[in-house]
Amino acid sequence: MDRRTFVKQTLGASIAFGAFMKTGSLLSELGNLQLPYDLVAIKGGEPDSMFDSGIAALGGMKAFVKKGDKVVVKPNIGWDVSPERAGNTNPKLVARIIQHCFDAGAKDVSVVDHPCDQWQRCYSNSGIQKAASDVGAKVIPGASASYYHNVSVPKGISLKSTQEHEVILDADVFINVPVLKNHSGPRLTMGMKNLMGNVWDRQYWHRTDLDQCIADFSTYRKPTLNVLDAYYVMKRNGPRGISTGDLVMMKSQLISTDIVALDVAGAKLFGIDPNEVRYIKVAEEMKVGRADLENLNIKRISM
Amino acid sequence: MTRNTWKKIKDLRVIVSLIFLVLFTALFLDAWHLVPPKLAAVLTSLQIVPSVLKAVIVGGTATLFVLAFIVLMTLFLGRVYCSTICPLGVLQDFLIRLARKMNRRKRFRYNRAPQWLQYSVLAIAVILVLFGTSMIIGDLLEPFSNYGRIVNALALPVIVLTNNAAADILARFGIYFLYNIPLHLEGIGALALGLLFFVTLGYMSLTEGRLFCNTFCPAGAILSLLSRISVYRLVIAKDVCNDCGACDKVCKAECIDSEAKRIDFSACVGCFNCVRSCPEEAIQYERRRIPDVQIAGVGFDQGRREFFRNVTVPTAAFLLAPGLVQGGSVLSGKAKPVTPPGSLSFRHFTSLCTACHLCATSCPTGVLQPSFLDFGLAGMFQPKMDYTVNYCNYDCAICGDVCPTGAIVPLDVETKKLVQIGKTTFKKDDCVVVSKKKECAACSEHCPTKAVHMVPYENGLRLPEIDDKLCIGCGACEHACPVTPNKPIFVTANEIHLKAEKPKVEKEKEPVPATPGDFPF
Repeated sequence: MDRRTFVKQTLGASIAFGAFMKTGSLLSELGNLQLPYDLVAIKGGEPDSMFDSGIAALGGMKAFVKKGDKVVVKPNIGWDVSPERAGNTNPKLVARIIQHCFDAGAKDVSVVDHPCDQWQRCYSNSGIQKAASDVGAKVIPGASASYYHNVSVPKGISLKSTQEHEVILDADVFINVPVLKNHSGPRLTMGMKNLMGNVWDRQYWHRTDLDQCIADFSTYRKPTLNVLDAYYVMKRNGPRGISTGDLVMMKSQLISTDIVALDVAGAKLFGIDPNEVRYIKVAEEMKVGRADLENLNIKRISM
Repeated sequence: MTRNTWKKIKDLRVIVSLIFLVLFTALFLDAWHLVPPKLAAVLTSLQIVPSVLKAVIVGGTATLFVLAFIVLMTLFLGRVYCSTICPLGVLQDFLIRLARKMNRRKRFRYNRAPQWLQYSVLAIAVILVLFGTSMIIGDLLEPFSNYGRIVNALALPVIVLTNNAAADILARFGIYFLYNIPLHLEGIGALALGLLFFVTLGYMSLTEGRLFCNTFCPAGAILSLLSRISVYRLVIAKDVCNDCGACDKVCKAECIDSEAKRIDFSACVGCFNCVRSCPEEAIQYERRRIPDVQIAGVGFDQGRREFFRNVTVPTAAFLLAPGLVQGGSVLSGKAKPVTPPGSLSFRHFTSLCTACHLCATSCPTGVLQPSFLDFGLAGMFQPKMDYTVNYCNYDCAICGDVCPTGAIVPLDVETKKLVQIGKTTFKKDDCVVVSKKKECAACSEHCPTKAVHMVPYENGLRLPEIDDKLCIGCGACEHACPVTPNKPIFVTANEIHLKAEKPKVEKEKEPVPATPGDFPF
């Protein structure tokens, strides 16, 4: 082993260990945390105002972000398309979430993704780079293997280990902000699928068993909060889309700490049976979260 | 103008040349894509061989205007271009100066360069371009492109590695101002030859000064022909000269015969070292007198005679060129590489590309990579679309904006989106969906036109299907496909680029407005 590899691995391992300890404590903290609702569904407002109402129903961002926390907000910034195309998370929503984090006392807020198209064009043309940095967040590059460190996925079946971005590994709070879209592969992209942007080698997932890997990775770390953007929803030609003709305006948003519940509700919002989305079924069987919405405490807000 | 003022002309030349050297070097070192493509296009339009090619093939008043400026400048003052605007010329000056600083005092002496060689090179180059290869001017001898390759080969990797080391250190402190830039060594053959050229050029310039510029350089040849009839030229005032020979020793072009008190102005690169060196201030520009013009005419005739004397060489090249083009393809043993959108056809691209690699440096995704022998011997170093590195970004047409020769013509983005540079082939038996019975769709996920779309297969799985009419050959599907090592989905080149159909745009039906409070769960 040469020195560089040694330093890299030791560093990677210590970051991973630190993150593990943090996640562990975070999970127990959240376990004790009594939230008034399992899921909040909002419709009829703007992306930012819907989030204001939704997070208020959950007791405000203070319930999730402590003073001095390092926060990572992970939108979908996968494609070089403009905000009107809704191929990426709505920039107004991303900015508003960041503002809430700072208001709750966050030390710093970082925004990161591992885009599919050329990353700078995605960051810039999605409108997210400007929206996020205007409200004081750090926009972090994610398109180089050097930022990713090995992590193991103990409960994974097909995905036993992968590589996660160091900024996410190092975060106290991780907020997952997907956009609801049709997807040519696993039918829909929502909460769990968005976490593919946390890792480096996605091709392994694709050639092994995509749905199983998506479910596997959702066992690795429970996001502090998941916010599903369904303001504009891409109904076909996803996940990149061809034109604004692919979209419908739904003016909706879902917020939950339970990523499975979020995806089940998202599928219903989209208009397809959640059972048709295999990774949801697999994740439910692996006890990542709950799919029985009828037994959950849901807050429904119309604006 | 007093003679003293004339001496300052060298300082002016040095300042101007350094400005241009910095600008052109910055273009080739711009790993961060900070230089706007339009600015790059303006700068490179000053490069004579690329601009001549572009003016002939693509046209454009701006290019013609810049060319007219260079021609007029040369017709008035001789080859000052060679010591100011040409980065390869200034690089040689830099090396010579460096050697002097290191106490290796090289004294030049009059040594008439075999200019017939240079004019023959130019003639062969013209014939080869007509024959569908830019081999002589671009791949081997064009100065701007050679400079680009030297910077790409020697300096760019150093810049990128330094940037990445700094980015890594800053990232440890949570600072991501600098970011990691992928370093591609796919064009390693081109890099090695860039290095070889640099060493050869360095040796030539340290021993014989600007020998390259007066023997092999096609830009030098064009300018040399023009300078033979320039209005002003540098002369030694015979009555003032004290026979000290200082000018002779500092002349990098080795074109001053101090004994005969004569300057061979067609070989002079306009560095003005002689003007500065002369203690008697005997060297200055002088308007050509009428008899001189006649002498110049004779000189030109001589050049022409030599030119025709060597007509055998061009003829040989004429017969050789198709063999080189064909032979090259056979040598590489592979299908023809995909050429970038705007390059129109394989022939258009290979005959005009001088392999300066500016498109490769400017390409935001890195899909354009220098090749080695993929285009055959005659197309050595020309960039190709390398889908193992990345794919062509749908909303980008930067390569055409920066291409100085018109090998890649500028396209507006909407036009570019419909240019089909290749077609996609799908071999279903190797696809994950068939071989592993698992969902994948990485290909169709990345496809910007949905030429690659999913159709029902078995057990609820879906399999890619390709609509040739919509495919633009961008390589997103091939790059994204996770199967190794032989991808079941790949792009093969269109030798002549075609027009794809516009992706079908339909308006999705808006949902029935739900009543407030109505949620589907």
